[in-house]
Amino acid sequence: MNQSNENAQPLLQMRGIHKWFGRVHALRGVDFDIDRHEIVGLCGDNGAGKSTLIKVISGYHRAEQGQMFFEGQEVRFSSPREARALGIETVYQDQALAPHLSVARNIFMGREPTMALGLMDQKLMNDQSMQALANIGLHLRSPNVMISNLSGGQRQGVAIARAIHFKAKLVILDEPTIALAVKEVREVLDFVRRLKSEGVAVIFITHTLHHIFDVADRIVVLAHGEKIADIPTRETTVDELSDIIVRGTYGD
Amino acid sequence: MQTSIAERLNLRSLNLASLTTPVVFIAAIFIFWLVSPEHRFTDPRNLAAIAKLTPDLGVVALGIGILMICGEFDLSIASILPLCSYIFTQLLIAGVNPFLAFILVLPIGAAFGFLNGVLVVLTRLPSFIITLSTMMFWRGVLYVVSGLMPISILRYVPSDSAFAHMLTGQVAGIPLQFLWLLFLAVILGIMLHYSKFGNWIFATGSHREAALAMGVPVSWVKIICFMIVGALCAFSAVMQSARLGSFAATQGIGFELRAIAAVVVGGTSLMGGVGSMVGIVLGVFIIQIIDNGLILSGVPVFGVNTFIGIAIIFFVILNNMTNRQFASE
Repeated sequence: MNQSNENAQPLLQMRGIHKWFGRVHALRGVDFDIDRHEIVGLCGDNGAGKSTLIKVISGYHRAEQGQMFFEGQEVRFSSPREARALGIETVYQDQALAPHLSVARNIFMGREPTMALGLMDQKLMNDQSMQALANIGLHLRSPNVMISNLSGGQRQGVAIARAIHFKAKLVILDEPTIALAVKEVREVLDFVRRLKSEGVAVIFITHTLHHIFDVADRIVVLAHGEKIADIPTRETTVDELSDIIVRGTYGD
Repeated sequence: MQTSIAERLNLRSLNLASLTTPVVFIAAIFIFWLVSPEHRFTDPRNLAAIAKLTPDLGVVALGIGILMICGEFDLSIASILPLCSYIFTQLLIAGVNPFLAFILVLPIGAAFGFLNGVLVVLTRLPSFIITLSTMMFWRGVLYVVSGLMPISILRYVPSDSAFAHMLTGQVAGIPLQFLWLLFLAVILGIMLHYSKFGNWIFATGSHREAALAMGVPVSWVKIICFMIVGALCAFSAVMQSARLGSFAATQGIGFELRAIAAVVVGGTSLMGGVGSMVGIVLGVFIIQIIDNGLILSGVPVFGVNTFIGIAIIFFVILNNMTNRQFASE
């Protein structure tokens, strides 16, 4: 019975999350769920609370009030490390990769496999990097290419491949398509679909509604720290959503 | 099949892709061989002198290079070095065996570095400012406690003693200082380019936030790099004292900027994240070779800095050009 309960539960469940920064009430009782194999688009104007919410999920911030359940267990993260240990990975736009390091060294950054004397197992890193990239459909010439020599889309691919390689169950993508060329956006959206087919849940934050419309199963809109809409993508339109975001309310 | 030889050998990680530094190193030797009267530059005695004198700055520069790759500077080496020399001398006077005194002064140097690192990490101020302050602070302390008087250590470490031989002797005509420099460069080079900690150093300097997000303890990485610099200052201080046979309050003066110059000439980025151990070692020798070669070629001693200034600008421009070329490939 316990087992069936756990399967019925969403991967991540948040109830009544409140967050203050001094006197600023950044999140006002937000409920948020996401299931396995689900892609949720998270939208809202600047200052709506999107990044605060994902920072609570990924362990950078601690909610002052509210509960969070991951795989049915209540969790309270005090650091991103704890969230990552449970399989929650965040991919920040332009914050995820060191430009002067190779692809392999970036994928294993902070988690380098070592041999004797703390020396890196470079062969293992190279082989597994190429494998991880191939898994999401990104084929690079060599694992020793420097990140600064990759396109924006390829960089997002490396960051996403890294997340799956380390067995992420939930991947949070913060504006993954910002400042990308059209062709690269399509590449990134393909990576996101690959994530879903691997059984990973994805929270996709973006300002460009068209981008999430192509991939998201459900769209959540925040405004002034509150959730004002939570709609399956097929039941809404880009126009309706932009209207909600602009007005800051749903319904009338 | 498409991978270039450089990539297959993983030379990219050694930053040998930018061949500027090795080429200039060889060019400098060739030019001074050519222009020095009677090819005095390549006289074995002159080369031996370069090999003996360069490691004083070189040993410290190894640490400065690593520190700059992780994105920080240390100007206080100019004071930590003579202070370590003074402490070493005082230990000898107190009757401590020179080998033991040497081993004791290394962690003391590292402790000076630790203080720099902690101040930089806690205040979040630029290390340039923090270490400018600690440079002045420690120099003041040194001048007061030492009274600026040189102290001979020949009574405790005679120039024919085993200790002096260990640091300043010769093996097959090669000065031991040179071999110590190479030894330290190899050890630190392996750490920098092949170890997990080395990857953390590059990651911290290349993109601090990314490294932090991936769980790299960036503050500790920086503190440890400052400690490496401090320990190397202590090493260089003892090596130099053994050569001079005394403590001198003027030891290390000017090292702070010459070390940065050497490291930059060696292809290290001032912004962090880029550099190599091979480049750092060559950079130190290039600076010394220019210095030595110009003097042999008749340039007045006090005019040498002018040329070193020109050389630095020339190098940074050259490195930027070649880097851009690689980036746009």
